[in-house]
Amino acid sequence: MYKRLNELNFVIGLFFTVVSLILLIDNFFAKGSPGNLNLYTGLTFLIFGLFMIAIKTNRNAE
Amino acid sequence: MKLTLADYLVILLYFAFVIAVGFIIKKKIRSSNDFLSSNRSIPLWITSLAFISANLGAQEVLGMVASGAKYGIMTVHFYWVGAIFAMVFVGLFMMPFYYGSRARSVPEYLKLRFDEKTRGLNAISFAVMTVFSSGISLYALAKLLEVILKWDFDISIWLAAGIVMVYTFLGGLTSAVYNEVLQFFLIVLGLSPLVIVALHDAGGWENVKAQLQPQFTHAWKYMGHTDTNPMGLHFMSLIFGLGFAMSFGYWCTDFLVVQRAMIAKNMKDAQLTPIVAALPKMLMPLIVVLPGVIAIALMTPALQSKGYSIPVNEMGGTDYTMTLPSLIAHYYPSGLLGVGITALIASFMSGMAGNVTAFNSVFTYDIYQSYFVKRRSDRHYLRVGKFITVAGILFSIGTAYIARSFNNINDFLQLVFSFVNGPLFATFLLGMFWKRTTGHGAFCGLLAGTAAAALTHGLTVAEGKGGWIANVYEIRSGMGQAFIVAAVSWIVNFVTTILVSLATKPKPEEELKGLVYSLTKKPSLGTTRWYLNPVTLGVVLLLVTILLNIIFF
Repeated sequence: MYKRLNELNFVIGLFFTVVSLILLIDNFFAKGSPGNLNLYTGLTFLIFGLFMIAIKTNRNAE
Repeated sequence: MKLTLADYLVILLYFAFVIAVGFIIKKKIRSSNDFLSSNRSIPLWITSLAFISANLGAQEVLGMVASGAKYGIMTVHFYWVGAIFAMVFVGLFMMPFYYGSRARSVPEYLKLRFDEKTRGLNAISFAVMTVFSSGISLYALAKLLEVILKWDFDISIWLAAGIVMVYTFLGGLTSAVYNEVLQFFLIVLGLSPLVIVALHDAGGWENVKAQLQPQFTHAWKYMGHTDTNPMGLHFMSLIFGLGFAMSFGYWCTDFLVVQRAMIAKNMKDAQLTPIVAALPKMLMPLIVVLPGVIAIALMTPALQSKGYSIPVNEMGGTDYTMTLPSLIAHYYPSGLLGVGITALIASFMSGMAGNVTAFNSVFTYDIYQSYFVKRRSDRHYLRVGKFITVAGILFSIGTAYIARSFNNINDFLQLVFSFVNGPLFATFLLGMFWKRTTGHGAFCGLLAGTAAAALTHGLTVAEGKGGWIANVYEIRSGMGQAFIVAAVSWIVNFVTTILVSLATKPKPEEELKGLVYSLTKKPSLGTTRWYLNPVTLGVVLLLVTILLNIIFF
């Protein structure tokens, strides 16, 4: 995993995954958030983050 | 606006990540080339997103939302007239010279094509402009955080500048570019929920259109006369002033953006960089113009029950600059509020880092190495590059405090920048496509164009600005005045360069190979797929842009 830190898509994916977790945990504890905006955004960020992490790039190219 | 723990966690996480990127890249920095020009090794998807992100600074994000609220859908002209055509042009016709000449910067290209004095003039004016732009960006960030979060002005300045300094000092241009891509995704994904929720709250696009005057929802229909549209512009001023002089002057000659394409791995990627970047640029109005239009609709009588309004300024007028922060405060709950604030901070830091990395390349290569200390070891120039990065940040901090002390300095500097940038495209156009253009012609043309810009501004008045020589001609909007100043300066530069060139001796053709269109072998694109062919992709993008203009006519 440490080597994958050299891949920008992995770093971006990791960032959005952690942000999504913050949003989802906040949504869980802060009941009554208007329109569950944190929930939907958190799930979208999670999908995007995991997608970016899953992409394999040619390390030599980067 | 009050932040909670979740909001602070998102902001701190962002700061930690951008600094971590600096540390990761640091291991790859071994030479001045790595530090200042990324050793031409960056993949296409990164150069493309960095190309657009370098232009996605705070002035762009906050300013375009504000313009959306003030002028309505006409603001899309800055994208569909003032960007896409120039981005495709620079990719297809100018990158072969920038990249193929092996120049490390735009001023260095001017040295190769013309002479030392033309390079010097461009390098010095560019270095001064970038450091002031960076300082203004920093000032605007600290001011915004002071107003909306009540954060201390000094702490905001030093914290933001310190973080940018750490990651640009450690990883140079590559670090700035990598963070620009992170910032791009943060801005787009961080502001997208706002557009969706605000549009939904306003009853959808059809209801927004129904609430607003038709002048606010049509891009071209009311541009036949200056009195019938919110910008106070005639369509011909827009097409020549914005669509040609200003747009091509910025996208084709400003090293801040061109540098992102010059670090691509090969010629084809360098050409594709601005063209691929044009795709997200085309869609950017959804993120930065639409919220402003929705904000105005939300303030109409039918939607007043939604409880949103744009704040007023000290004079009692609508403070359009606060449109985006006020929308974020109105719609975002805790957690997402942190994402929105972080997106704003990212846009400021992206603008600042872009300016600082362009400044240190130009200063090191085109001023220090060219005029002060020649032929030293690469290690020496690497150290100088790092020192200049720190100096650039410190200059920016100084500029931020100057901007705080003098309210009008921002307007003044933006004006001076337009005097310098406006005529520049004429120099490049003639230099690249007319082999007879001489160094003396280019230098005199630049000086004459800049003087013509200042003179035009001094003789025209718009919204109380200009006319510092005499009030000869009144223009309805400041924007219209800016377009006319750019157009006049371009024409004066173009004509002066031609006249002086005809009267002076040109360089031998042998020295112009790879620098002028008619003397350069056209780059072979090989057997690439259509969607990776710069010409095909460029044509498709232009057709889609024309279609968008027709749809929102």
